[in-house]
Amino acid sequence: MNNNLKSWLKKETSKCMFCGFCEALCPTVRFGSHRGYGPRGRINIVLYLSEEGKYTHEALNSLYSCLLCAACTLKCPANIDIPEVIRVARSLYARNNLKEKEEVVIEKEVS
Amino acid sequence: MERTKIARDLSRLIGKNKVSVDEALLRIYSKDPLGNVGKALAVVFPISSNDVSKVVQYAYENDIKIYAQGSSTSLAGSSLPLEAGIVLSFERMKRVLEISLVNSYVFVEPGVRIDDLNFELASKGYMFPVDPASSSVATVGGAINSGAGGMRGAKYGTMRDWVLGLELVLPDERGSIVFSGCKTLKCRQGYDIVRLIVGSEGTLALVTKAYLKITPLPETVIVALAFFPKLEDLMEAVVNIKTQRIQPYILEFLEKKTAEIAAKSINSNINIEGHMLLVGIDVNREAGSRYVEWMKKILIRHGAREVQTAESWEEAEERGLFNIRRSLFVAQSKIAREHYKNVKDAKVMLLIEDIAVPPSRLVEAVEGLKELEKKHGFITMLGGHVGDGNLHPSIGFNALDPKESKRAEEWFKDLIDLAISLDGTVSSEHGIGLAKKDALRRELDARGSVKLLEIMGNIKKVFDPKNILNPGKVV
Repeated sequence: MNNNLKSWLKKETSKCMFCGFCEALCPTVRFGSHRGYGPRGRINIVLYLSEEGKYTHEALNSLYSCLLCAACTLKCPANIDIPEVIRVARSLYARNNLKEKEEVVIEKEVS
Repeated sequence: MERTKIARDLSRLIGKNKVSVDEALLRIYSKDPLGNVGKALAVVFPISSNDVSKVVQYAYENDIKIYAQGSSTSLAGSSLPLEAGIVLSFERMKRVLEISLVNSYVFVEPGVRIDDLNFELASKGYMFPVDPASSSVATVGGAINSGAGGMRGAKYGTMRDWVLGLELVLPDERGSIVFSGCKTLKCRQGYDIVRLIVGSEGTLALVTKAYLKITPLPETVIVALAFFPKLEDLMEAVVNIKTQRIQPYILEFLEKKTAEIAAKSINSNINIEGHMLLVGIDVNREAGSRYVEWMKKILIRHGAREVQTAESWEEAEERGLFNIRRSLFVAQSKIAREHYKNVKDAKVMLLIEDIAVPPSRLVEAVEGLKELEKKHGFITMLGGHVGDGNLHPSIGFNALDPKESKRAEEWFKDLIDLAISLDGTVSSEHGIGLAKKDALRRELDARGSVKLLEIMGNIKKVFDPKNILNPGKVV
């Protein structure tokens, strides 16, 4: 990860209070197979990645299933810029891990 | 036991797509709103009571701990995987199985969110009245296990008043599935196991289905929002309202400074002219204006400077009369973050407390809290359910500063002493979990009843002889 962006990600995601209020508004969490398909999960996965965590299969499912609709930001008491966190995390991943024209594929999972 | 072996074994027992040991995912299921990080070895997503039973049998045989989770919004640390173990997440068991108006119940799986349940019930003119502030995300199973309450608690009580029967998986070698309680409103089934499970925080058995009582939605609710220059006057008004042969639907209070911050945080155009009291009374529509006038008179007679009223719930929503109270949590977090905005690398934590005192002693409680604010130097945000004496004082502190963390701990200890000294209790609706074990002991000690802890410990052993369910919590 690029260091400046990485430290921004860490700072922004560390603000999460884990209240989960964002999950009530998220259109994807209900259709995903776990909490990683919601904003609280995504934010905490990015925090984990910014602390040298691994880009696991579920981490990528979590990051790339976000629709960037920003509904979650309406309820976040910590005012985290959630869509921007996801964009930055994705671009850092793409820059460092994907070859030209390669794509991240999310499996269709039915809960 | 090794993580991959657990995953392999459990996958074979209940299916591969219901088990995960993905490291990033384990991290999410290891955390809680108190900032704790536990040790989930695997996350399991059962879809049936049989799945739960099989996981329990496996855990029993192999001495592995199990931590049940709904949506992990507990403010007491109740669902944290404290020691290494399996997190059993009920998020896929979220069906509303039956709504029976004639029998006054709804039959649900534990993973259904409280608000989702209420959307379904509202279409039939009914509701499930327990409404914790987190109801948009909190699950029924979590609410049962934490003994949740909410704004409507003064009228409708807490979870223990609304659970009729529970299907349970017991932590024994067979993972026995039993049903405790009844489908009927009246039920005398020996010792009351249902109410023992309510509030047991996943330490005794796993709730896999529940029959809950339901009640009709009120035709409408009249609302009055009043501001009192003097706190004593506000409390006098509360006492007067509570002795007028009505049971308010909502009776909520915010201390002046807290109300100001809350109003500012949502750009409310309502002037905060003192301590805030929000009153709602459920009425027939025809009686709305009569009740509004009556309530207004009571409030003004007791010294309210400014009273805004609405003759229906819809009108109150339209005019934003609930918004200041609803923004309490946002205000609490905002003031805490602003306070530390110039502190480099601060980890701001909110300590949201949950004491209750008999409503007649609320003035003393608020005065005591103000003294604690002076003594410890934390800005205290103060609001709560004044109708049942439940207060949620909160402070923000920098968890990375050891001195400040210590001071927060001292504030908490003094707060507990204050609640006990006023004949109150240390936990009203959030539970004991990890955070209030010592406080519980002190409360029982003050009442000469520490013996009860021993009894609770023995009850735990009877249910869970191998101590595999949520160890280290409550007792």
